[in-house]
Amino acid sequence: MKKSYVIKRILYSVFVFAVVITLNFFIPRIGVEDPAERYYPPQGNMSEIEYEIIKQATREQYGFDVSPWQQYLNYLEGLTHGDLGMSFRSGSPAVADLIIDRLPWTLVLSVSTMLIGLIIGIMFGVIAAMKRGRWQDTVLLNASTIMIALPSFFIALILSFYLGFEYEIFPAYTDPNMVSNFEWTFASLRNVAQNAALPVLSMAVGSIIGYAQGTRNAVIAVTNEDFILTAKAKGLKQNTIRYKHILRNSMLPIVTSLGMSISGLIGGQVVIEQIFNWNGMGTLFLEANNMNDYPLMMGIMLLLSGFTILAILVTDLIYVLLDPRVTVGDKR
Amino acid sequence: MEQVLKLRNLKVIFPSHGGIIRAVEGVDLDIHQGESVALVGESGCGKSVTSQSVMRLIESPPAITRLDTLEFNGKDIKNYTHKQMQDIRGKEMSMIFQDAMTSLNPVMTCGKQIDEMYIRHKGVSKKEAREYTIEALKLVGMPEPRSRAKNFPHELSGGMRQRVLLAMAFACLPKLIIADEPTTALDVTIQAQVLNVLRNMQKKHDMSLLLITHDLSVVSNIADIVYVMYSGKIVEKASVEDIFHEPYHPYTRGLIASVPKLSDTEKEFSQIPGTVPHPMKKPNGCYFHPRCQHATKQCKKAMPPLISVGKNHEVRCHHPLKDMKKEGKA
Repeated sequence: MKKSYVIKRILYSVFVFAVVITLNFFIPRIGVEDPAERYYPPQGNMSEIEYEIIKQATREQYGFDVSPWQQYLNYLEGLTHGDLGMSFRSGSPAVADLIIDRLPWTLVLSVSTMLIGLIIGIMFGVIAAMKRGRWQDTVLLNASTIMIALPSFFIALILSFYLGFEYEIFPAYTDPNMVSNFEWTFASLRNVAQNAALPVLSMAVGSIIGYAQGTRNAVIAVTNEDFILTAKAKGLKQNTIRYKHILRNSMLPIVTSLGMSISGLIGGQVVIEQIFNWNGMGTLFLEANNMNDYPLMMGIMLLLSGFTILAILVTDLIYVLLDPRVTVGDKR
Repeated sequence: MEQVLKLRNLKVIFPSHGGIIRAVEGVDLDIHQGESVALVGESGCGKSVTSQSVMRLIESPPAITRLDTLEFNGKDIKNYTHKQMQDIRGKEMSMIFQDAMTSLNPVMTCGKQIDEMYIRHKGVSKKEAREYTIEALKLVGMPEPRSRAKNFPHELSGGMRQRVLLAMAFACLPKLIIADEPTTALDVTIQAQVLNVLRNMQKKHDMSLLLITHDLSVVSNIADIVYVMYSGKIVEKASVEDIFHEPYHPYTRGLIASVPKLSDTEKEFSQIPGTVPHPMKKPNGCYFHPRCQHATKQCKKAMPPLISVGKNHEVRCHHPLKDMKKEGKA
């Protein structure tokens, strides 16, 4: 039963991904009749014939000279060997290369934010739930109320002003040579860590509070369940009840929110990257958007949606491990 | 007969925003070895709070619990620490809950949840515990205990889940079993099976049973002694024969009259008018007087004491009803 559920979920994800690829390909082509016009808008001092020649050259270069259906097939064929098309920026670099250049730098920020948020957040949440109503709980409650009102970019501005400009503890602005000079040495890694400190910190605050609040509520909800009373009536020790009965049951909603946030790992930090001048995916997406570079936008969107689908799939599969009831619906 | 439980003057209150909820107001309980004691009353009268207080499972805060005596098995457990209580719970006194679906951990197999009892209280290995578990499941009439033990609670039927709870409660052959409405969530045929198991196990091992219920037919089948509770107080205590043949309290009489009988020719169900008073707005005097047809001025003024009206028969009423035949149908 479990196996069939897993296979079904994987097939379903593949189907969704196929739909996403198709929509991703056709939606940008709906608005403009000639994709070449998007790339090369008409300019004032150009004659009709000149423009036509340029457009024709563009079409051939980007493979727009065949029918949309043929273009779609070519696109699919390209995807099979990781070819996401060519960017419209000068030099026509491959979209895949642009993304591969930026992706690690975004992951540096987002993965460390998530790990910090997850570990510290769950710890705080469990403590607050165990000390329900005491000061530890009150601190968390008030902190999360404040955090709801404070978006991460505001925290980023405050941090960059105080820790960056006033006290100069961390760089307020990312070292422009960080990426080009990067090598696998301790000094270089330390440089990355220092530059990443403020962006990560400004995002981690919200992440910690979010996970802490979620954990606290989940733990408290489970603590009030009947089966915890049963466990107490069995004479189990406090720690057995906590770790074997309460925590495992409270992890379910946390895995859900974790799955949600995994999809944000790639593209969820456009604003923070801007504030700290961090050259990551968010910045790349913004550039693509501003330049009407839609092969690049398509590439980023494809990566984002693929990653989201994968994250949801993994979440669902973890659920099967954590909660035996999940497969029940599959029987129907 | 050796006394297993002696509880005196138990009071439990829950402070809340609107005021104080007096859940239990001075309850005494005596249970002897091998005896089945039923605690009967409508929902919200404090039965469950009383039973959980016996195991000291009521969390404080929020609850405030006061009692004069709590003796179990000859030991004064009133001032036992949490650790000492943990050693007694499950081993010497255990509890069976009403809703087996929610009372079992959904992400742990039933077998593992029973294993825990043996691992905790007998200090055996996981493997040995499982053998005990299978034996225990056999005793409570679980079909195919070995494979059922590997099932999760949601994979079992309601009756089987209740058997898992029974096996768990009987695991360490405790002195006292507290069953909190063990059959309420089951359909009638399964109810009978579960009650039979409960009764047989109890008699076989000479355990004491505290049965919490609102179902008088269950009481007549199982109990030796009956306590009737109303709004946090015991209103009548008697042997099961006396309760059914000679009830003195108008509330007890109303409860018995409201059990539908197949032989009834009347179309209407007999019922006690009104509802249990809200725990924050209990009336002055006798708590039952607004619903009592026999209430007098005295009943509105003063809470009646528990008075003895016969051998082992006590009633909390200013005007205990003497003759069932004359007033029974009134």
